[in-house]
Amino acid sequence: MEQLYQLLHGWFANAPDAVLRTVAIVVPILLIITVFPGVFAYITLIERKALGRIQNRIGPNRVGPWGILQPIADGLKLLTKEDIVPRRADKFVHFLAPVIAVVPAIVLFAVLPVGPGLVPVDLPIGILFAFAVSTASVLALFMGGWASRNKFSLLGAMRAVAQVVSYEVPMVLAAVAVVMAAGTLSTVGIMHKQAGGFLNIAHWYIFQPWGFVGFVLFVIGAMAESARTPFDIPEAESEIIAGYHTEYSGFKFALFQMGEYLASMAMAGITVTMFLGGYNGPGVGWKYIGPLIGVGYFFAKLLSIIFVIIWIRGTWPRIRVDQLMAFAWKVLLPMSILNIVAVAIAHYMESKFWAWIVTAVLLFVAAVILSKIGSPQNVERRTYRYAA
Amino acid sequence: MGLLGKGLFAGMAVTARNFIGSYFDGGRKERLFTYQYPEEKMPLPENSRTFPFLVCDDEQDPVGTMRCVACKICETECPPQCIYIVMDRDEKGKPQQRPKVFDIDISVCMQCQICVEVCPFDAIKMDCDYEKSQHGRFDELVEHLPDLLKSNAYYNRIKPTEASAVDARLKAAQEKKAKKAVPAAKAEGPAPAAS
Amino acid sequence: MNAAFWILAVITLMGALLAISLRNLVHCVLSLILFFLGVAGNYFLLRADFLGAVQILIYIGAVAVLILFAIMLTRNVTGTEGPRDMFGLGWWAGLITAALVAVAVWITLRSAPEAGVTSAGQAVGSVEAIGRELLTQWVVPLEVLGVLLTAALIGAVVIALEEVRRRR
Repeated sequence: MEQLYQLLHGWFANAPDAVLRTVAIVVPILLIITVFPGVFAYITLIERKALGRIQNRIGPNRVGPWGILQPIADGLKLLTKEDIVPRRADKFVHFLAPVIAVVPAIVLFAVLPVGPGLVPVDLPIGILFAFAVSTASVLALFMGGWASRNKFSLLGAMRAVAQVVSYEVPMVLAAVAVVMAAGTLSTVGIMHKQAGGFLNIAHWYIFQPWGFVGFVLFVIGAMAESARTPFDIPEAESEIIAGYHTEYSGFKFALFQMGEYLASMAMAGITVTMFLGGYNGPGVGWKYIGPLIGVGYFFAKLLSIIFVIIWIRGTWPRIRVDQLMAFAWKVLLPMSILNIVAVAIAHYMESKFWAWIVTAVLLFVAAVILSKIGSPQNVERRTYRYAA
Repeated sequence: MGLLGKGLFAGMAVTARNFIGSYFDGGRKERLFTYQYPEEKMPLPENSRTFPFLVCDDEQDPVGTMRCVACKICETECPPQCIYIVMDRDEKGKPQQRPKVFDIDISVCMQCQICVEVCPFDAIKMDCDYEKSQHGRFDELVEHLPDLLKSNAYYNRIKPTEASAVDARLKAAQEKKAKKAVPAAKAEGPAPAAS
Repeated sequence: MNAAFWILAVITLMGALLAISLRNLVHCVLSLILFFLGVAGNYFLLRADFLGAVQILIYIGAVAVLILFAIMLTRNVTGTEGPRDMFGLGWWAGLITAALVAVAVWITLRSAPEAGVTSAGQAVGSVEAIGRELLTQWVVPLEVLGVLLTAALIGAVVIALEEVRRRR
């Protein structure tokens, strides 16, 4: 946005400042609002087709060639459905819940550096802002479950909130490790620290042991935040009716889904920025096509992470609620704290090679020990009172 | 997590194999066994059956060569009583060995094949056509005689082994009848010629 | 910036007033969340961006969620009674407290220099400065806070364990 303002100032030097500023603000907003929900719509199509291929069937292919018009058909269908509000539900809260589900997800895109100089807002506290905003979407779960005036929705909402809040902690701590290594909270700064090296790839944080562990922790946390399988207890089809969005029909339901997918896309974008080097890659510094190549790399990495998330959805079974909480608090949280210790060790050791080896060994041993502790292998035999 | 995550990644390898294999399936329907319905239909096994049809020996003259003689055994034996037969009578009221009306109500028919089993003339056989939906529930689901008549060639096409067995049996019965007729003709033959 | 300040002030005050006067408790909490958002906006206006982000993260993400949990697990949320006694004791208590707060603010504003509020905010409120101060000058309060939070966590776990043991 700053760069756009400078560019406009260079072109129209004698235009009033307020107009230039307004245009420089409105254009990125329009771009975000049109590009990312469009990408979301086609990611739903990609998800259905990829899940279909994984399950030995073709995904939707009747609506357009290769089902290209399917998201449009889905959107139209949901728009024309009747909007049912339960009679004694809290109308205001019922109306507001999908809005609060979607707005933080869209706001998160404001700090993602999509290309060289193409970040809508370069906040000095970018990562903190991202986490603060994603925490605000917890409220939508609550409000959705409460406003439906349905015991099962409320139960589903409570479980959803417990899950989201528990997985936020290791996720944020994994991000803290990256922030410690980069020395700045700004997304653009973290990404710049990963530039340079062989083909602009060698300094990505994922190649460091603490970066790899952080990446795994962050992706697990991101999947749990947006309630995707294997953590989709709140919204799975065979769970308590449908959890917090049971009583929503029509476009409000579509908004909940959109909020979930946009949140997972935004979290994937932040993963790309923090661990995979953002838009860095070979050839980004070239003169005129550098920015385009950068945008291409960013979206390629984003789509590959989203594809891995879809792949995981098609493969792994759902985790039970108590196993989920045990995993978050007993395995992921100590692992993320040890990750921070590993970053500190790697920062203060002089030889980078030995730092790599030492932190890798430390994290591997910790992972093995934690997985043995965290997985209950001594489940006692059940005793039945009436059966033989 | 090194040993604990092995099952997770084995699972992901299986789905990856499924995913990539589904693009290179080449019509073998191993990794992508979707039949894109109106364009491709799943090949049915030979014994599959839906509703009955009447066999006629020649496609050009279905009413003249149909095997059914309106004996009404299938109408009597049908458990839900979905067959309705009226025998054809000519102008003087003499019964022809042919049905004038042969209706099967396929919303009632339970595909038990009893009519096929009891028919002494191999006239009614089971079809395997399943695309029979209509726009109404009552009169539109009753099949009448012109629609029920299908040729023996069609029967051979849908059920080769069964049809060839039926054809062999019918031909053997016909040859036995011809052989029985020939000695009778031979018995009377020479006498008129001699006298 | 004046316009931004006035808008944020209106939002904040409206949130606070609605939070104390609405009938439905859940609506009260939602307007309290609006109030927190207004306060965070004020922090951003004063260039204390770390504090503003942490305000959203902690107050809206944790404290408001806690309050919502507490409200939803009690009955009688959609209270049919409104503000009960209009000129009763509570009203007088609130009025006197507001008067005391106003006097305190007026004395502070009259005696403190007004110029240095926004210009020095750049260096003071930034994350590095806060971090450095926390770990050099204010290390002892930081560690004490850590011990306090650990004690609170252990206390919560003990209470929960006791419930489980009692129920079993």
